[in-house]
Amino acid sequence: MRAVVSHRALLVVLFAVLAVLPVVANQYTLFVGNLLMLYMILALGLNLLVGFAGQLAFANAAMYGIGAYGAALLQVRLGLSYWLAAPCGAVLAMAIGTLLAFPALRLSGIYLALATLAFAQFTQWVLLHWNSVTFGAGGFPVPQPEFSALGMSPDRGIYYVSWVVTVVLLAFAWRVVRSRVGRAFVAMRDREMAAQALGVGLLRYKAMAFALSGFYAGTAGALYPAVLAYVSPEGFDLFQMVLHKAMIVVGGMGSIAGSVIGASLLVYLLEVLRQFKATQEIVFGALLLAFVLFQPRGLVDFLKRSVPGWSEPLHYASDSESAFDVAVADELVTGSRGGADR
Amino acid sequence: MLVLSYLLVTGITTGALYALVALGIVVVYKATEVVNLAHGELFMMGGFLAYTLHVMVKLPYVPSVLLAVAGSFAIGILTDRVAFRPLMKEGLVSVLLATIGISFILKGVARVLWGGKGDYLAFPPLVSPEPMRIGNVMIMSQQLVVLLAALAVMLVFAAFFKTTRAGKFMQATASNPKAAALVGIHVSRVYMYTFGVGAAVAGASAVLMAPLTLLYPDIGFPLFIKGFAAAVLGGLTSVPGAIIGGLLVGILEQLAAGFIGTAIQDVSAFIVIMFALIFLPTGILGMRGTRKI
Repeated sequence: MRAVVSHRALLVVLFAVLAVLPVVANQYTLFVGNLLMLYMILALGLNLLVGFAGQLAFANAAMYGIGAYGAALLQVRLGLSYWLAAPCGAVLAMAIGTLLAFPALRLSGIYLALATLAFAQFTQWVLLHWNSVTFGAGGFPVPQPEFSALGMSPDRGIYYVSWVVTVVLLAFAWRVVRSRVGRAFVAMRDREMAAQALGVGLLRYKAMAFALSGFYAGTAGALYPAVLAYVSPEGFDLFQMVLHKAMIVVGGMGSIAGSVIGASLLVYLLEVLRQFKATQEIVFGALLLAFVLFQPRGLVDFLKRSVPGWSEPLHYASDSESAFDVAVADELVTGSRGGADR
Repeated sequence: MLVLSYLLVTGITTGALYALVALGIVVVYKATEVVNLAHGELFMMGGFLAYTLHVMVKLPYVPSVLLAVAGSFAIGILTDRVAFRPLMKEGLVSVLLATIGISFILKGVARVLWGGKGDYLAFPPLVSPEPMRIGNVMIMSQQLVVLLAALAVMLVFAAFFKTTRAGKFMQATASNPKAAALVGIHVSRVYMYTFGVGAAVAGASAVLMAPLTLLYPDIGFPLFIKGFAAAVLGGLTSVPGAIIGGLLVGILEQLAAGFIGTAIQDVSAFIVIMFALIFLPTGILGMRGTRKI
């Protein structure tokens, strides 16, 4: 069958539109476009961890916050330039993300979820109460980096920086997923014990998944103060956590294109509902619930079925296939069919 | 000495409430191996229901409490029907994400109905706020009422499990769902009632807590985390463990607040969870060797 729209073509068009946006758009649209790219990075990172590696962690918003506060505080407190502070913020988030992998090795399922949720709460607390460093609940303004040498306003300059970073990280995620690492992630997600039996080192790949996702969230965070010129704890609260989760569930868990699609749709909704906090909570909560219930593989699954030529590597296998795989894996691992029933 | 006794009394009172929250988490976990992430929001809804009935509709206290508990029970059952029953076979990730979705829907609904962020509703106290002295110990009469009521809820809870048919069905299902199904217990109905009972306990504890704190839509999550800390400390599968865990978390938190700083109160739960998961993975009263980590 001839390809009508491939996921690749869609992404190319999307990023081409984003690239020319500053030429035609007003300041507000530019800001939303920039925000969209930050959320794409966040969704990509979270999807690598949750959708591909199968680690249900809730610390993504915390990593985002650590990246943002790291980059902003290094500038404001230590007077570093943004170009030095931003990578430091991203690396800091990656380091803390990697540390989270160690409890993750001992904990799984519910315990991992709750431990990371508690960690996210702890990060919020630090941002709120460590006044002497973080300026407390009110937040603080951060100077935007200068682009006058290039003859650009700061808003436009940082927009292009975000664009380049997003494209690079998107391409990188793509490479990761198609590499040995991506296959190890998926094997770990689908059946940890079988993956280990096949020689996938769990510590190594879990740490890698947490590090990658921490780095992605931290990079989005490091761009945040340059885009908003202001940082406050509220930007990294539980609502963000649900927002990121909803993005990957709506777009499609275990799909690179899905992360981008989910982020795009939800940022649009977020802007439409910006004035109404309660409505946002209800809408995003309901979206998450509805997709988990009725379209658990997200919009990409729908696209895959209805758009000829839409194919993406390393999706979930179709239901019958994966059920068969699991049965076979159980047989291999335990020596009896269905014996690994939990 | 007076300070210490005051801190201990306050710690025991809040600890008893954490224990009730933990109780709801443990009951649901024991039966279903799932933690309802909307548990804190069920608590919050229970509190707001009681507020609506008692303060806004001006019903007397006891009927409004009973109705609020019944309302929580209904929301709990709804959670089971919407998020657990259809997703049980899909696995833990789906169930957890669905309950997170529900928790945000409830939070948003509460914000629409009972005011925006930063609006705190005061629940009228049951008895005079005058402190009284028992021997050398200063105690707020309100705290005493709450403590006794929490104790009563725990006793009712224990009696329910020990004496009623429904309670025994739940115990049977929790210990072995397949065997329970074989002897004719309608397992998925038991799951439904388990969610309902867990939510009802949350609602009851919300009603008790409301006069001590204030009600606001975001109250659920911090309490859920504290209740979970208590449950994990107690072993996550043990009802007495949940109560001991709750009391411990409450007392530790008050002592830390009194001797280190009040801000520390909010992170005590995180520290307890991390400590329990790393050093005490089976909890105080959890069954050894059965935890799947």
